[in-house]
Amino acid sequence: MKSRTRENQKFSVNEKTSKKFSVSKKLQRNFLGSRKFTKFSRKSQTEIIGLAIVVVLLIIGMTFVIRFMLAKEPVDYKKQFTQAEIASNMLNTFLKSTSKDCNGLTMTELLQDCGHSKSILCENNQGSCDYAEETAREVFSNTLDIWNLDYEFKAFQQEESPIFTLGSPCPASKKSKTFPIPTGSGTLFVKLDVCG
Amino acid sequence: MMETIMVLFIFFILVVMGFVFYAKILKGNLEQQKEESIQLNAIEVAQRASSLPELQCSEDNIVSDNCIDLLKLEAASEIMQQNDVYYYDRLLFSKITVNEIYPDNNEWILYIRPLDEFSNKITTNIPISLFNPIENKNSFGIMTVELFLK
Repeated sequence: MKSRTRENQKFSVNEKTSKKFSVSKKLQRNFLGSRKFTKFSRKSQTEIIGLAIVVVLLIIGMTFVIRFMLAKEPVDYKKQFTQAEIASNMLNTFLKSTSKDCNGLTMTELLQDCGHSKSILCENNQGSCDYAEETAREVFSNTLDIWNLDYEFKAFQQEESPIFTLGSPCPASKKSKTFPIPTGSGTLFVKLDVCG
Repeated sequence: MMETIMVLFIFFILVVMGFVFYAKILKGNLEQQKEESIQLNAIEVAQRASSLPELQCSEDNIVSDNCIDLLKLEAASEIMQQNDVYYYDRLLFSKITVNEIYPDNNEWILYIRPLDEFSNKITTNIPISLFNPIENKNSFGIMTVELFLK
């Protein structure tokens, strides 16, 4: 009985150890599995970080490309200045100019007469309108035509029916200047458009 | 190991390509800025030349814009050419001429200090009124400013 018990005890001890063994094996398996899992998850995390870095680099690169592709056009300051200055100064200077052979009258005075009574007759038997037009043609052919600048110059009281027009209308952008000249029968406008 | 080397290699190629692209863009921007600065310089010189007090028309101490007194012009063309070192600070390496277009044709050289070897020349034309105070007449003139650049 004793021995039996002992055997039994032994048996029970063996059973215990085998149980213990099986538990430790399970634990070990679990432990190894989790280690494997940790190893895998660490590797995939590293790969994801690598992928994220590549994506970030690509985004930065694309931002730069887009930024420089959409970069502003170079500003042509000189062209802007020249056109604005020319449109204004040409008209101002032309209107102030004294005629060569028309009783020492200025272009403004000739255009005033042209818009009102047309009573002035110049030394070359030209009327005030024709004289002003011819002078404008001479001045513009020696300036804007030589500088290869397209323009439209006109004098009018009503824009639909101008007294005279030089040059051709600007197809696109232009710098424009208009000078009003008061006459006995309303205001006469002198307008210069410099194209470009 | 080989895989890591390849990845690093590609990564560095991408970085180098990025730097090359960036340097190219930067160079283009610098050239653009230089061109803009040259243009602004040309405008500055043209404006200084057209508003020189030595030439401006005035009546009772009131200055009229966009006008050159012919008597002052004749005197200044001699004086300014003799004292070109003094005017260099304002007008740099340039040539400034005034041409009468209408009713007569005349030319005055106001300032001349060109560069022997220049890479670029910027010409600015400014229409300007030429006032003769003796006859009280205005002529149509053009002031031409040629700026020489190294």
